[in-house]
Amino acid sequence: MDAPLAARGCALSALAFERVGKSYGATEVVRDVSLSVAEGEFVALLGPSGCGKTTLLRMVAGLVAPSTGRVLIGAQDVTALSPDKRGVGLVFQSYALFPHLTVFENVAFGLRRQRVSGAVLSERVEAALAMVRLPGLAARRPSELSGGQQQRVAIARAIAPRPRVLLFDEPLSNLDAQLRDEMQIELKRLQRSLGITTLFVTHDQSEALSMADRVCVMAHGVVQQFDTPEAVYHRPATAFVAGFIGRPNRLAGRIAADGRIDLGGGVLLAAGEAGATGTAVEAIIRQEAIAITGDGDGLPGTIVLRAFNGARVQYVVRLAEGVELVAETASSGAHSGLEPGTPVRLAIAPGAVFALPVA
Amino acid sequence: MEMAPGRIATWTAWAVIVFLQLPVLVVVLAAFSTTSYLTIPPQGWTLAWFAKVLSDPAWLGAIRMSLFLAFGATAIALALGTAAAYAIARRMVPGADALTALVMAPLVMPSVVIGVALLQFYALTGLRGSIFGLLMAHVVITVPYIVRAALTSLAGLDGALEEAARVLGATGPEAFRLVTLPLIRPGLVAGALFAFITSLDNVPVTIFLISARQTTLPVLIFSSVEMGVDPSVAAISTLLIIATGGILLLAERRFGFHRFI
Repeated sequence: MDAPLAARGCALSALAFERVGKSYGATEVVRDVSLSVAEGEFVALLGPSGCGKTTLLRMVAGLVAPSTGRVLIGAQDVTALSPDKRGVGLVFQSYALFPHLTVFENVAFGLRRQRVSGAVLSERVEAALAMVRLPGLAARRPSELSGGQQQRVAIARAIAPRPRVLLFDEPLSNLDAQLRDEMQIELKRLQRSLGITTLFVTHDQSEALSMADRVCVMAHGVVQQFDTPEAVYHRPATAFVAGFIGRPNRLAGRIAADGRIDLGGGVLLAAGEAGATGTAVEAIIRQEAIAITGDGDGLPGTIVLRAFNGARVQYVVRLAEGVELVAETASSGAHSGLEPGTPVRLAIAPGAVFALPVA
Repeated sequence: MEMAPGRIATWTAWAVIVFLQLPVLVVVLAAFSTTSYLTIPPQGWTLAWFAKVLSDPAWLGAIRMSLFLAFGATAIALALGTAAAYAIARRMVPGADALTALVMAPLVMPSVVIGVALLQFYALTGLRGSIFGLLMAHVVITVPYIVRAALTSLAGLDGALEEAARVLGATGPEAFRLVTLPLIRPGLVAGALFAFITSLDNVPVTIFLISARQTTLPVLIFSSVEMGVDPSVAAISTLLIIATGGILLLAERRFGFHRFI
């Protein structure tokens, strides 16, 4: 009745990595990565610098050849195909606009390679510039534009030839914070309206979580988790993901005989998955997963510092000598006005605590 | 009265400039003298020496030969040097640093040494006295200028530009022609001018390799001076000064030449 899962995945996927690896000499930057992206899906590759996310992206564009494995666009194996034959669009971190060409010619570059000319060319260039809401600047040189405008030209240039896959390599990292927030929403809207399968590389978790349909968290060339933003945030698959997403506390500890984490000073913390007794670990506790209660159950502690940042209030809480962590609460909540010196109790769900073995 | 250090520096600078430029002025003035020997200040004014030079088959032959070598060597060096610089800058060849040093070597090696070495090499390979051999010698001494200019230009180029062109559907050669070449062109023009002038001006290498029948302009000037000087040498030198000055001025106007020196 039902086709095997793998076959079904193949039929649906617009972009797939099959057991892809990449080594430079003895250094493995990508290890045995298999991913499948659905038609029209927006996937973010998220991870710290050097995790292999950009290498994966460049493999799709044909700018890096995988050492092992295959890359597929639709049903076509593109592993050995040169970049000019792949029909993908790429927005570079540096934008890489051609400085000697006008905005019009930059956007027309890909279309001209497809032998589009005359009225059709002008029409499609104008349409692409309208898409990124940048009309009327076609005659300018890139150097005459602001960073945000250059960004839009880079996107227009990438979408004008109607690529099969759209690739973004940290495109927002050169913009200031406010413009970045605007562009996040605008990019997501643009991707929705175009319906082009999109791969978006970033090291910024809020960017990845807010824009993508699915987030692929990577570390050390390995996929840690590939799931919806909600799942990645609430149900991290590995300790690395738990430590990378959200605003985690990191405390040194050791697995006690009862399986809890001993943070020293008599503080013991129940963890989801602990490990062997005596193992040195780093306990990872999300700030936002710690509930402050006035009394009752929970770890006893004392407020050391209070920091108000608008929507949230953060507290530094001392649990014992040398054991401090940051907890936060809504600034309109019941425990938002606690002064330093106030004794409190902290309720921490065991599922929100992760033990990361220390190498 | 004591002079401020700033004034001393200014005066020294002027003194150096005058000292360096005075010989040029002397040559130009001497070219207009009516006397049959070089003298300063010139006695009377005449253009006869220019007329003589431009109607003398020996001078005209030398000018033709020099222009042929300069244009030919520059064109060949431009093609070879740009290709080499591209391969080096993009790390397409192993030992790129060693290769750079090797290609740039003629710049620091004494010209006389290159001349002697080529003389022996050509004697062994039967290229001695051939125009092809001379042309290749000029390529060797001009290629470093092209490579240096091209390397500088390529280093200032975002490598992502060519990648962007490739992803947008340009083949490798198309990406080079449509993106890289236009962007490094000012640097290449500067390098080509240096190469051209270097070839046009070269004596120490050329003099070892030249045949009895064919000679170049600077070698002919050199030998004419040895045989006794009349103002025709000054006249041809003046023409050379005007030509190179004109080329440099044009290059500066068009490309901002000084940025590549």
